[in-house]
Amino acid sequence: MNPEEIIERYRDLQRYVGWNDDTPHRIQTIAPLLLPLIPQLVEDFYCEIQRHPATKRVITGGASQVERLRGTLEHWLRELLSGQYDQAYVIRRWRVGLRHVEIGLDQVFTNAALSRLRSGLARGLVDRWTGEAAELLLHLAALHQVLDLDLAIIEDAYQAEYAARLQRTERLATLGQIAGGIAHELRNPLNVIKTSIYFLLHAKNITPEKRVEHLQRIERQVNLSDEVITALTNFARMPVPTCTPFDVVACLREILEHTTALKVYDVIMDFPSVAPWALGDASQMRIVFDNLIRNAREAMLPGGQLTLAVSGVGDRVEVAVSDTGDGIDENQVSQVMEPLYSTKTRGLGLGLAIARSIVEKNQGTIRVASKKGQGTTFTVSLRAVPPPSGGASS
Amino acid sequence: MSQKPAAVLVVDDDVDICRNVSDILTDLNFLVDVAHDGPSALEMVRRRPYDLALLDLKMPGMDGLTLYRELRKLRAEIVAIVITAFAGPETVNEALAAGAWRVLPKPVDIHHLLSLTQEVLEQPLVLVIDNDSDLCHMLWHALREKGYRVALATDIPSAEEKLKDHTFRVVLIDLKLPADNPKELFQLVRLTNPEARTLLITGQDSDMGLTIQGALTEGVDAVCYKPFDVQTLISTVQKLTQAPLASDSPVSSSEPSPAQPSDSAPPTHAPEDHA
Repeated sequence: MNPEEIIERYRDLQRYVGWNDDTPHRIQTIAPLLLPLIPQLVEDFYCEIQRHPATKRVITGGASQVERLRGTLEHWLRELLSGQYDQAYVIRRWRVGLRHVEIGLDQVFTNAALSRLRSGLARGLVDRWTGEAAELLLHLAALHQVLDLDLAIIEDAYQAEYAARLQRTERLATLGQIAGGIAHELRNPLNVIKTSIYFLLHAKNITPEKRVEHLQRIERQVNLSDEVITALTNFARMPVPTCTPFDVVACLREILEHTTALKVYDVIMDFPSVAPWALGDASQMRIVFDNLIRNAREAMLPGGQLTLAVSGVGDRVEVAVSDTGDGIDENQVSQVMEPLYSTKTRGLGLGLAIARSIVEKNQGTIRVASKKGQGTTFTVSLRAVPPPSGGASS
Repeated sequence: MSQKPAAVLVVDDDVDICRNVSDILTDLNFLVDVAHDGPSALEMVRRRPYDLALLDLKMPGMDGLTLYRELRKLRAEIVAIVITAFAGPETVNEALAAGAWRVLPKPVDIHHLLSLTQEVLEQPLVLVIDNDSDLCHMLWHALREKGYRVALATDIPSAEEKLKDHTFRVVLIDLKLPADNPKELFQLVRLTNPEARTLLITGQDSDMGLTIQGALTEGVDAVCYKPFDVQTLISTVQKLTQAPLASDSPVSSSEPSPAQPSDSAPPTHAPEDHA
């Protein structure tokens, strides 16, 4: 979050807790009674820290660090009682949360420590208050508001930083996995290329046919390597879809026409005579259907049955791609659309993850149903729009 | 000694890499067969002998290691190089324990592969003819460890087949084989593998005395008595392979030995009808 967002967050929380112009004045009124308590509160605060392994552990700099921290806490308390809650004040609170993530101090200890300070301040105020009880209650309420807001902003910073760090760690782990997957996927074609070159350079008897065969093989493997990289960039940088109405049935027919590998399978097209159109990016959805069809094909032996079904369901249009392959193990169904998950001996395991990512960006959903030994059905659901007037789908 | 070209079986589900390795080896005068899955590889091994098998570890259906275990049952003399992109220590140890010779990481450096292939072909071939399959496997591992390629035959017909398929340096024969006439077996060795040295493994059964004597006069190069010390047996095999091929001085094992068959025919003294 940038400073403007942080301060906006603070102002919003102020409104939430019922802060009014009176609040800073009340703090300024009680400040003279509370300021003398500060040394004693600081002393108590650092004694308590020493008693808990989880908090003691984060003090790594010995006595000189404790001395510095005492100064910081004292400053923090003086600011708290100043009645000046400007941007600089809020940012400094925010930084406390960030710092706690850095040193590995769990937020629960911030909550506990603040509760201890709160009790100390409240007790001190009650002890020294000589005015009306009703006024005392209102002053205490103001003190609690200020403390609650401090705690809220520290916790907010803590959570944001914690989440960001977690995400960075996960991203690194994913990067590592992807790098491993790519290394494997590129190694195979590179190895073919390398051995073909070895043959072309060293073989004693090469016929012209053999030479052409090896050059073509090198070309094919270079293309394969290129596809691996394309799949990855597709995954990493899928552009924001341009959602326009498109004819799902026509899109599927076109894919089928261009997929020669389907010849050995029994392809069933279950399309209604008038199907709704879908709202989505047709070129991106083509990648999705392509991936699902290829996946279904690879799950089956030749002769298997591939079924493509389109149907209107309420305000959605659904495309179901079914195969009659082995099905997915029950405990693996939830994983099949995770990136880098693959049961195949070849492949990055990105096909279904890409499909899901695209569908979600097109405001659609994708679900999978599978029965071991019977087959698997992937169903994509997109927003439906009526076909253009007079337009039965082609 | 003119040898028939060495035969190599390449098994990988990646068709292109198979073709490339096949082209490179064929150009170097190897006989190369290619299979893309375990079952068809086994079918090929049933049909003809091979010296070396290059096995991809990760294949759909039957993996390379399972394939090797099956392949070894059919032809124990095939030396296996397992190739894998995932060469973790566990995989390597499992493959080596199963009897594979080497585990190479993918992609395989072709120069390295060619030098290993040469190395395999230089490993002396030993045939163990013994109907005790436990003993066969113990000897297989012990001899393999010392760098021999070991063929196994647990009966006479399979021994005949092995002797016809390969050129052995040493043939170990357990006389407990239910052979009608052990003499015939020795003659077969002489006929098919005139340069092979023979080592007789026998119990100290006095009933066998005559047979042993007969065998010795047939030109057995060494005798080992049961129960034998494996190390002694191995060093006897080593002496036999180190000795000049046409030597006529038999090597004796350190076990109690019968009278030296000093007047036995030298190994080159083969029957007249030897081709």
